Amino acid sequence: MNKKSTLTIPETQESSGGREDRRRWWTRDSGFRTILRRVKKNPLSLLGLGLIFFFVLIAVLAPVLAPVPAGSRDSYEIPQSGYSADPVKPSREHWFGTTERQYDMYYGIVWGTRTAFKIGVAVVTTSLLIGILLGSLAGYYGGWVDEVLMRFTDIILAFPRVVLAVVIVAVLGRSLINVMIAIAMVDWPSYARLLRGDILSIKEREFVLAARALGANDGRILFRHVIPNAIYPLLVLGSLDIGNIVIYAAALSFLGLGAPEGYADWGQLISLSRNWILGSSGSPFEYWHTVMIPGGTIFLFVLGWNLLGDAFRDILDPRQK
Amino acid sequence: MKTLASFVLLASSLQPLTPVAWGQVKNPDTYTYLTISDLDSLDPAYSYDTASHMVILNVYEALLTYKGSSTEILEPMIATKVPSIANGLLSKDGKTYTFPIRKGVKFHDGTPLTPEDVKYSLMRFMLQDRVAGPSSLLLEPILAHPNTRDENGNILDVTFKEADQAIQVKGDNVAIHLKHPFAPFMTVLAQWGPVLNKKWAIANGDWDGTEATWKKYNNPKKESSPFFDRANGTGPFMLERWDKKNKETVLIRNDSYWRKPARLKRVLIKGVDEFATRKLMLQAGDADAIYADWPAYSQLQNIPGIQIIENLWSIEMNPVAYFTFKINQVANPDIGTGKLDGQGIPPDFFSDRDVRKGFAHAFDYEGYIRDVFRGKGIRATGCIPKTLPGYNPKQKNYTFDMKKAEEHFKKAWNGEVWAKGFKFTLSYNSGNVPRQNLCQIIKRSVESLNPKFKIDVRPIQWSTFLDLYKSSKLPVFIIGWQADFPDPHNFAFPMMHSKGDYPSTQKYKNPAVDRLIDQAVRETSMAKRKALYAKVLEVEYEDVPHLTILDASRYRPQRSWVKGWYFNPIFPDSPWGGYYYPLWKE
Amino acid sequence: MLAFILRRFALLPFVGLGVTILLFGLLQFLTPEMRASLYVKDPRQLSAMEEVIRRYHLRDPFPVQYGVWLKQLLKGDLGYSETAKMPVEKAVKAFFPATLELAVFSFLPILFLGVWLGTQAAVKKDKWLDHLSRFLAITGYSLPSFVLGLLLLMIFYGQLKLLPPGRFSLETDLLIHTDKFQQYTGLLLVDSLLNRNLSVFWDILKHLILPAFTLCYINVALLVRITRSSMLEEINKDYVRTARAKGLEESVVINKHARKNALIPVITLSSLLFVGILGGVVITETVFNYPGIGRWGVTAASQLDVPGVMGFALLYACLFVLGNLGADLLYAYVDPRIRLK
Repeated sequence: MNKKSTLTIPETQESSGGREDRRRWWTRDSGFRTILRRVKKNPLSLLGLGLIFFFVLIAVLAPVLAPVPAGSRDSYEIPQSGYSADPVKPSREHWFGTTERQYDMYYGIVWGTRTAFKIGVAVVTTSLLIGILLGSLAGYYGGWVDEVLMRFTDIILAFPRVVLAVVIVAVLGRSLINVMIAIAMVDWPSYARLLRGDILSIKEREFVLAARALGANDGRILFRHVIPNAIYPLLVLGSLDIGNIVIYAAALSFLGLGAPEGYADWGQLISLSRNWILGSSGSPFEYWHTVMIPGGTIFLFVLGWNLLGDAFRDILDPRQK
Repeated sequence: MKTLASFVLLASSLQPLTPVAWGQVKNPDTYTYLTISDLDSLDPAYSYDTASHMVILNVYEALLTYKGSSTEILEPMIATKVPSIANGLLSKDGKTYTFPIRKGVKFHDGTPLTPEDVKYSLMRFMLQDRVAGPSSLLLEPILAHPNTRDENGNILDVTFKEADQAIQVKGDNVAIHLKHPFAPFMTVLAQWGPVLNKKWAIANGDWDGTEATWKKYNNPKKESSPFFDRANGTGPFMLERWDKKNKETVLIRNDSYWRKPARLKRVLIKGVDEFATRKLMLQAGDADAIYADWPAYSQLQNIPGIQIIENLWSIEMNPVAYFTFKINQVANPDIGTGKLDGQGIPPDFFSDRDVRKGFAHAFDYEGYIRDVFRGKGIRATGCIPKTLPGYNPKQKNYTFDMKKAEEHFKKAWNGEVWAKGFKFTLSYNSGNVPRQNLCQIIKRSVESLNPKFKIDVRPIQWSTFLDLYKSSKLPVFIIGWQADFPDPHNFAFPMMHSKGDYPSTQKYKNPAVDRLIDQAVRETSMAKRKALYAKVLEVEYEDVPHLTILDASRYRPQRSWVKGWYFNPIFPDSPWGGYYYPLWKE
Repeated sequence: MLAFILRRFALLPFVGLGVTILLFGLLQFLTPEMRASLYVKDPRQLSAMEEVIRRYHLRDPFPVQYGVWLKQLLKGDLGYSETAKMPVEKAVKAFFPATLELAVFSFLPILFLGVWLGTQAAVKKDKWLDHLSRFLAITGYSLPSFVLGLLLLMIFYGQLKLLPPGRFSLETDLLIHTDKFQQYTGLLLVDSLLNRNLSVFWDILKHLILPAFTLCYINVALLVRITRSSMLEEINKDYVRTARAKGLEESVVINKHARKNALIPVITLSSLLFVGILGGVVITETVFNYPGIGRWGVTAASQLDVPGVMGFALLYACLFVLGNLGADLLYAYVDPRIRLK
């Protein structure tokens, strides 16, 4: 029963991910041009691409869109105009209004775009690196190395993810960087497994066998032949995970972990809205902006990645050729 | 597909919740209170948190109680008289109290209450002495040492004998003999050590009251006590169940209560963490009162059927910023380089009075009260809150004055502070908004004085806070204090006495103030005590070991059909929870 | 077959040991003072911290503490969870049925809706229905659950006063704790039917709809995607073409033939998805004030309740092993080509 090691718990949204499906059905032979052609054909993926491009633009232009106030030591620190609890509606002065305790929502959203990319890219890179390292070692060497590493990933996968992340943050202390570490720590096993399975099949291919017959050493074969062949789809899939990672980080923020208050981070802005969802008597939507603006932003960002991801998974799915 | 179809079918035939019409009371016999805190243990000798205590207040009864809204005047409860020198029940030296015990009081299981039960309960309260528990509140006045164990955790043999001699049953009376006079003793008794049923306790495996076995029950496991989640008191309500899973406690009326039985048949106390959910349930009439803090205030205004009761002054000092006079510099990044070079602070930075005064003047107290407490508080005049005797409204306290702040900072450390600047980290426990704002305001306004002044503000988890606090690593720590019993001693001691909780961590010591506090607690005349506490406040102003900010008030959102409620700040979880005996709904 | 099952069960102690050692090791990075925070909640208790540390042996070396825990475990004692205020075994028994009920109730709609939408999307590939159903599914997947949950509460409880949070109403609460109501399973929907009490059943159902809908909307995308791609593969296979060529009605071809085979990976995956939902309902439970096991797990973790976290992790490890086993067995059952060795 070889299927054993391919099965893992698919992560629900709160526990991030959901890459069960793609593990089984992607292949390597999708050229860049075919991908482009198919993306163009699919209106949804175009929408996704557009959304991502839009957010990239905001992130790049952040200093222009929301200039850092003079005297600020950290551009990610949201300017605060007072300490009053009640959020203020959008106005000329505060385009998106303020959150509770008067943080400027517009500034937070704009600079939060950078934070979102930072979280997404850093976490994906870290977990990819760990996943690639352990996955390739396990897949290439096999035997007891494989056994030890794969059982270790089993153990990580058998953890309830949110709880493990909470414990890690509790141990390391509450900060954005520690949240990123915590997510990366629980996120790598699926990459490792994916790469391992792939290497197992590449290993038996002719060009690798040929290299070995020619006397190439292990490291050379691993780095020159095996990994480059296996890594490309992994990178694509990993980068598409950025949306989920951002939701995951926001969820931790909601649970009271994550960036310190006042740091430009969407999850933070949403958790600041938590107590204002109901509005006041007679005007149930009085504080709509506190939820809808950061909630909508995070939704669009994640939607962009997921739409693109959905298209890419189709492209990498050999059965849909 | 069948399930899906039935799911849709059910959803479409849903009926709205019963709407609350005008003048119509929902669940008229049952009172529901929604809170955010969890019970810890219902054992009166174990629990030291307001949520548990609120339940205990309604199920058990102490010898005395507070009269109405007063925190000073006491009324008899299980005792039939309040001892005083005038009625001869308090000895002239202020050390021996005699309590005549009420007859005809029955526990919830029907057994009559005896003086022996009273003695047993007070002994048990002291001798159980779980770590970090409330036992020291009686140990200290009665036996004059706060602990039943030495520093290494070994149980002190003599404790039982001392306690046994101090509390004696004499016919229908119980006499308590103190080592030294302790002025607030009766206010302590009204709050701690209610009467338990000795027979029931022994039958359920608790201590039998003898010297041979007391050590076995010293510092017990929480869940091993029969009182942990069961109760057998004399109070107006009986514990029906404490449902830990659903975070709810159900109390039911005690129909054979020694006074008139309560009007409410049932009280339901339920934990609901989300404010939105609590508000919705109050609005729908599913709850009768809810816990709410100041940020939530604006969302509770003008809702038909909901009444907001305001100006309920609490007995607490929260938040207070304490300066650490000697900071532990071992592996402590919070003080930077550990030197006065603009990139850190020396460990004894705050021992300079001008530094402290500089900070004291650089804080916008009025603005803070306005923004964070919606203006519903007044500037504190020192460590004694406005609700207690000894409060002095005329005592001067620091005002927001940047000029004066600058003067003091220029004088501090012979001008070096002003010339070189400093840098340190200000931490607060995350989630506590008033403390967070306090830090932010200090940072903003002190940094604006001099570009070389740098303060980093950092949220830390409660666990980290404890760790750093205990090792005196926090340059400034922000924390609050709530009353154990309504007496100025309960504030002056922990906040000003060198052996008190905070000064011992700060390494603040002023022998003069120690003497004043020791003297005040033994003095029985309230007028003389007030004079002594006035002097304590003067020293506090001169020394500035900490920054007191405000006397805070709270508010109570309840359904307007709730009747009979009155405010007493000493009730646990007041003004939201409290005492349910006087309440009814109509 | 039996040997295979037994072998998979042998994984259980291994995974359990690994999970707990890792977790315990992680928690040892905390200083004893930090771990004392579980017992020192109030400023009034600060002065007794050293005693607390001694009382709960927080300064003992890691192997000693773990050894003590393991020894107790072998005796069947998982310790006392400070956050649940009860022993860990009791806490699991108290919280798990509620979560199970919620998970089942949201899982069934996910399964049916996911398969239905996925099939439609495959049949109408690249038509508007395909795009629409996938778009809807993906929007759900892109919504933070707490935003969706709070919005639903605002509308259905705040405005329409229809669907309240929590697990039951006051009346039900008072009723089910009397002798008139027997709690056989802890699954209140089942219990209410066994007690022939429809009003309780009704009440429990009302409280389940919103959290179940939240979970369903957020998780359905996964099944839509798998069903669709699996369907597409089947539709293009020879036997389907043959069936069509023979003139069989399209709906018969799709429903009777193609879907049957396409469901193989879906069914396999579902047991894993189910376990995933069981462990991933934390935030939904928090938002809806639903007394489930996920909320307990997170509270225990954030308050450093070591026995609580360990118990929760151990439970989840068991579910994980069972879920994997279930997936394998289902796979072997639905696909005769697979033989379990």
